[in-house]
Amino acid sequence: MARDPGLPPRRLPRELSDRMLCGLFVLPTLGVLLVMVAYPFLSLLYYSTLSFSLLRPGQAPRAMGFGNYTMLLTDPALWERFVFTGKFVVLTVTVQMLLGILIAYFLQRDFRGRDIVFTLFMLPMMLCPIVVGFLWRYMFNSEWGIINVMMAAAGLGKLDWLGIADNALVAVVIADAWMWTPFVILLATAAFRGIPVNIREAARIDGASPAFVFFRVTLPLSAPILAIALLLRLIDAFKQYDLFFAMTGGGPGNETMTVSFELGKIAFRYFYTGLASALAVLMLVIIVGLAMVFVRRLTLAAEER
Amino acid sequence: MKRIRRAHLVTTAAVLGAGWLALPGTALAQTELVFVWHAGTCADILVEISRDYPDQNVRIVPALVPYGPEWHNKIASEFAIKGQGFDFAMWDSQSTAEFAGGGHAYSVNEIFDRSDYLSPDLFAPAALAQYGEYPDGSGKYWGLPVNMDAYGFMYRKDLFENPDEQAAFKARFGYDLAPPQTYQQARDMAEFFTRPDQGLYGWGQMGGRDYDFATTASNSFMWSFGGELYNPQTFEVKGYLDSPASIDGVKAYVDMFKFGPPGSGNWGWDEVNAAFQQGSLAMAMQWYYFNGSNADPAVNPKAEVTGFGNLPGAVGRDGKFRRQFSVGGQGMGVNGYSQKIDALIKFMEWYFQPAQQARYAAVCQTGLKAVLDSPEWQQLNSYNRHFARAFQYTNDYWHLPEYAILLDELQEEVSNAISGKKTVAQALADAAARNERTLEMAGYTITRSATLPEVPDQLITPVGTDAVVALPFD
Repeated sequence: MARDPGLPPRRLPRELSDRMLCGLFVLPTLGVLLVMVAYPFLSLLYYSTLSFSLLRPGQAPRAMGFGNYTMLLTDPALWERFVFTGKFVVLTVTVQMLLGILIAYFLQRDFRGRDIVFTLFMLPMMLCPIVVGFLWRYMFNSEWGIINVMMAAAGLGKLDWLGIADNALVAVVIADAWMWTPFVILLATAAFRGIPVNIREAARIDGASPAFVFFRVTLPLSAPILAIALLLRLIDAFKQYDLFFAMTGGGPGNETMTVSFELGKIAFRYFYTGLASALAVLMLVIIVGLAMVFVRRLTLAAEER
Repeated sequence: MKRIRRAHLVTTAAVLGAGWLALPGTALAQTELVFVWHAGTCADILVEISRDYPDQNVRIVPALVPYGPEWHNKIASEFAIKGQGFDFAMWDSQSTAEFAGGGHAYSVNEIFDRSDYLSPDLFAPAALAQYGEYPDGSGKYWGLPVNMDAYGFMYRKDLFENPDEQAAFKARFGYDLAPPQTYQQARDMAEFFTRPDQGLYGWGQMGGRDYDFATTASNSFMWSFGGELYNPQTFEVKGYLDSPASIDGVKAYVDMFKFGPPGSGNWGWDEVNAAFQQGSLAMAMQWYYFNGSNADPAVNPKAEVTGFGNLPGAVGRDGKFRRQFSVGGQGMGVNGYSQKIDALIKFMEWYFQPAQQARYAAVCQTGLKAVLDSPEWQQLNSYNRHFARAFQYTNDYWHLPEYAILLDELQEEVSNAISGKKTVAQALADAAARNERTLEMAGYTITRSATLPEVPDQLITPVGTDAVVALPFD
């Protein structure tokens, strides 16, 4: 359609519209997301199909297709890493959830000095994980570590905490629980205190015992938040690296090597970049899968209510 | 409203612009030469000496990491991105192949050509080869011997010189109690001094899974018994690493944990030092690097009664005596991607002058011949004269670019032997199989020999002697 010659000539708008301004402000974030998330992820997928090393630029990358995935998934040693990681995750998250809920149960009530006690409980979570690892490494030292000194004083004898695989697992679980139980306490306390007081009071008036109130009222009403705490702890425990690095170095042998530790080793000690990329993709699939199952169950539970 | 919005945009742009101008790279600054090393006294003294560098426009900046895999990984990661995050680095002798082979290190031959002062003659030839040459025997250097080190030995003189102990030992074992010349003797003495009820143990050694903790120690035993890591001509590992002589050596090493405190199987150097300084150990194998602190009464309450020397050797199954132990220390390598090579060469010309190196050698071990040969340095303390002798007996890991992978595999398997998960023979056989797989993946062709030696040292640079060659101790 021809333009009416009587109209004034079209000019670029002198002022930015709200829509354009929003777009301008979002653009940097989009750019950052593309550069920091999309590009690395696509690169990761591409690298996982190659055999190459970043440290040996002279050697040309070789296309492997799914070769790296096949190599990883048929390697019995990697399955051992998954089994060990699973054992660690189940143990540490169970301890953290049970302890966290128990302590939160007592901390939900108002008492004198509660805020100070609560802050003290939160302190371990604020520390750097590698520092926590070295701290516990020295505390678990078989000869002069405080744990063995106390055990010997109590007549229990000394234990080789970090030199025997099963003991080392327990030692790392203790360190991890010490550091991350506060996170569960934080969420559980918030959940417990968020329940309207009248609901619990009504149960008590109806003659319910404290245990009945806790298991039938408090816990079910806190379940969504506790499930989020559980999900976050599961994901974090699955990725655990620092504590094993500092406390056991993956040993004795390879018996305390988690999948994350194996990934770090393949990527930055061996510099098998293609193979490490494939393992990273596998870990990502597991973590995203785990998260999706949880989110779905949470959503269903919410809909049912 | 629109005016306000425009004002916001202008202000934002101005703030961003001012921030950009304030970035360190945009302002003129003095030249900073960044180096990577593991944290410790040697890095500290380097920084201290560098403060006196006459060109005050140049500043030496340390980027230190704890000793262990992170130190290697920090250098390797920077090389992987061809980064300029550091200008020079002290890396382990065995990493030279990895970094030079990958094309990341700047040629030291080039530095020799460009410098009027720096030349190979300044350094002990064995040290220059050990810390900088790749491939072996090629005359191509990628590092300068900046911090030499070797596995050493320390013991409690008060125990060894006690007449009652001497008499009791002689009555039990039939020969005089004196610092051991062989691991066979060391085992007897370790057993003799192991008295858990008194909090005393005979022998301390590293066995940790971390980095090279277990294998620097186990290799020292293995080489002394005539074993080898591999055949550098044929690239065979099977039949060498798991040869009968290698198994003898690693068995002797694992056996010594019986005479260490419970749990010492996962010790690193820190724990060995701490146990010795607390008086829990009669003998310990430890790097010369730590002798400075172990001889210091402020650090080691037993310093006055601590004696130093070289590690024992062993009489192998072929009847030959060998004394071989792990070389430690680092060469100074230059980042090939650095843009400050000229300034760095000038600094190196100053730093490797005898005056600076004498200051350094008062705390750590220099590679500069002029200092090493000087009587002042050799008499500076009780252990320098032993160290000057130690380099005749040192041996090293594979000088191959795949070193880091081979090391980790061997560490894992030796650790399995220490923990008892596998027998020594099984662990070494598994390590050999894994090492060969790694070499094959990297493109090496392994040529199988018709016969495999029982004592591989007889084939590869033999060092065996018919009689025990005794070394002095303090």
